Amino acid sequence: MSYHIISIAGLLYVLAMPVYIVYVLTKNNKLGYLATATLSAGCLIHIYGFIQRFKEMYAINHSFMRSIPITNLYESLVFFVLCLVIGYLFIEWKYKNRSFGVIVSILAGIIIGLTDLLGISKEVQPLVPALKSNWLLAHVTLSFISYAAFALSFITALLHVIMVSENKKSFKYIFSTSVLSIMVFIFISMIIDIATASNPRSVRIFHSTLGNQSMFISVLSWIFLVALVFIFWKFGDFITKTLKGLKINSDFLEDITYKGIAFGFPIFTIGGLVFGAIWADQAWGRYWGWDPKETWSLITWFVYAFYLHAKFIKGWRGVKTSMIAVSGFLITIFTYLGVNLFLSGLHSYGSM
Amino acid sequence: MADFKKLNEKIWNFFASVDLAVALFIIISIGAAIGTVIPQQSDPEATIRFFSRFMSLNSSMKLYEIVNLFDLNNVYHSWWFTFLLFMFALNLTVCSIDRLPILLKSFKTSPQALLPEVLEKMPFKRELNLSANSKDLAQKLMAVLKDKGFSIFTFAHSDGVQIQCKKWIKTRLAVYLTHLSILIILVGALIGTFFGLRGSMNIVEGTSSNLAISDDGKAIPLPFEVRCDKFEVEFYENSAMPKAYRSYIKIIENGQPVTIGGKDRFIIEVNEPFAYKGITFYQATYGFQPAEHAEFRFTYFDTNNKEYRISANFEKSFQIPGTSVRASVIDFSPALGMDEQGRFFNMSSEMINPAVLVQFEYNGKKSEQWILAKIPETWQTPFGKLKFDELWGAQFTGLQLRRDPGVPLIYAGSILMCIGLFITLFLRPVSYFVMVRDNKITFYHPSGKGIIMREKEIDKIIQKIQKEA
Repeated sequence: MSYHIISIAGLLYVLAMPVYIVYVLTKNNKLGYLATATLSAGCLIHIYGFIQRFKEMYAINHSFMRSIPITNLYESLVFFVLCLVIGYLFIEWKYKNRSFGVIVSILAGIIIGLTDLLGISKEVQPLVPALKSNWLLAHVTLSFISYAAFALSFITALLHVIMVSENKKSFKYIFSTSVLSIMVFIFISMIIDIATASNPRSVRIFHSTLGNQSMFISVLSWIFLVALVFIFWKFGDFITKTLKGLKINSDFLEDITYKGIAFGFPIFTIGGLVFGAIWADQAWGRYWGWDPKETWSLITWFVYAFYLHAKFIKGWRGVKTSMIAVSGFLITIFTYLGVNLFLSGLHSYGSM
Repeated sequence: MADFKKLNEKIWNFFASVDLAVALFIIISIGAAIGTVIPQQSDPEATIRFFSRFMSLNSSMKLYEIVNLFDLNNVYHSWWFTFLLFMFALNLTVCSIDRLPILLKSFKTSPQALLPEVLEKMPFKRELNLSANSKDLAQKLMAVLKDKGFSIFTFAHSDGVQIQCKKWIKTRLAVYLTHLSILIILVGALIGTFFGLRGSMNIVEGTSSNLAISDDGKAIPLPFEVRCDKFEVEFYENSAMPKAYRSYIKIIENGQPVTIGGKDRFIIEVNEPFAYKGITFYQATYGFQPAEHAEFRFTYFDTNNKEYRISANFEKSFQIPGTSVRASVIDFSPALGMDEQGRFFNMSSEMINPAVLVQFEYNGKKSEQWILAKIPETWQTPFGKLKFDELWGAQFTGLQLRRDPGVPLIYAGSILMCIGLFITLFLRPVSYFVMVRDNKITFYHPSGKGIIMREKEIDKIIQKIQKEA
């Protein structure tokens, strides 16, 4: 089955991570090639798995336009990671720079690993009537490609903010370490949520930590969260020093952040908003209906429009714009996952 | 008078500013986000019940008053949200009127030579020493640049030549195309609101209607009648997963069914709307609502395998063809399931596994049997094979309908927006300032961003010169 193949790809992503770490610490070129080779091998297997899944879908749906395997949460995460890795490998090849391969391989490995842990359905399912449209391919693929582009720009922007901030009392330092620590917390919390959920199909986020019924555990979780933020704040300069020691060019990070958004923004506009509107117009009889997914897509669009205007018209440079890019992706994550987890609406295909 | 002019200018500058645009981005986003959290257009009780999940009932009521005051339970149609969108449109318009002429003018004015000190202050600088002689060098460089599609301006200096080269300068206009497209989309939306109609209608199988209900509860009379012949949910084989929701409809005008392309029966499915006289119908919902005329439809196979169609109303007896057996439907289940003790129960209100309980009466003796539409083993009765086909007249189809003259503008605006964005972000204007002195070429650029790609391009240009030198 296709998901076994994709799990193998995930394993290779996890394996690529230590090689990237050793590479950035030693700057040994051979290790660099090995890291790239491992990640690329994972990517090729991932593509193979994706094609297999496509074929499995085709066997059910008998239509090329409607067999793209991005019709539920599992498939969308798999496709998102695929775009992320391909995008990263492209940047690595084009700029001959492996500086943020560590983070991409960690992210890719974790997300594929999570799909195993989460117990989300991996079976190939036939399409529900709402998804039976030729717009599925264009709308969903382009949306996720743009999410991946935003993710890459988020990684470089966050690195940039962390790297440039030195003063522990400055807003940018507090901002970047908080974002990092909260993400780590959510990640840990999600794993506990899933591990302790009685029914893996109805996992409620934070039910085992912040929102626990027991007052004691809930308070303990909050204390842990605050402690985590504090630890990251206290020792965040370690990351700064490491990044500086690695001689990562901050201009490079800023440039990739911009490129990611400059690529993702028009793709998001055409694929997410315009094609989404056309499809909604044909399926539901309205091109815009303030459905939560639509609304949050618009908000995402506004944030990146803000980034572009700040950069080009207001002439903002450096950390300020990078912080907008970081916020932009946090909102993108909410549009992608949060809307399905917390709000109800018409885009419920992405729920667990 | 001077004060008035000053004030005028101030207002103009306010509406032309990017700061206003950014502020509007943020405020509209926050407003829209609130609308996704607070239940929209639901009744007060439901909203208060929603709040009371997070706080005491008393504070929920108080919060509801605030929500009601600012229309937070109807954000997207509230006066302040409309006002914000209007401001957004105004900001876009004024901003474009303010900046476009300056840009157009800049295309017409020819560039001026820059002082070496100004060039030295630019954030990007790249120097290169070559052995060839200066005059030749400048010529070669210009040839390479021309080859790459740059337009070139040269200025003689005391110690060399200054070359300014530009490419894709006019792509800067595309930003205004994008802004214009947003205005077009907003106008399209406005036209749709004022001149369009939206509504829904529920039609029970076997009935027809010419009245739709608009979103705010008003009746919309249609110039024709819509008849629902049949509604069905198709399921994937051996699964409760729906494959298609399908309505078979007829359009009846002046008492006659309308034919289009030789057909008078039209199918509406999700993603497959049907349009007639500018009104488009969409499959939106359905439901179970048995009508007076609802009937159970069977096929009976006699001993020679001859087929007979039978229709029967609930609890009305019918005769099994060719026999003296009388039968009647005494119970119905849309989704018959069996629990662990072997008792029958309804699994769902969806017609996943429709079944009827048929009572037979033969020679004064009564017997009962469940017949399931999807399980052929249950069709065999002591009196021959009786297949349950369907229950007709017990479901309604919910159609969404609309007429929206603004849609062409929305599509046009969307296309323009895509074109504008692609040009703006993928075909960025490129310009370099180059000083050629003796054996030295220096590249300058007024901006420090995108340095890596710029270095690559300059590397390529240098390689070409070196090859020719």
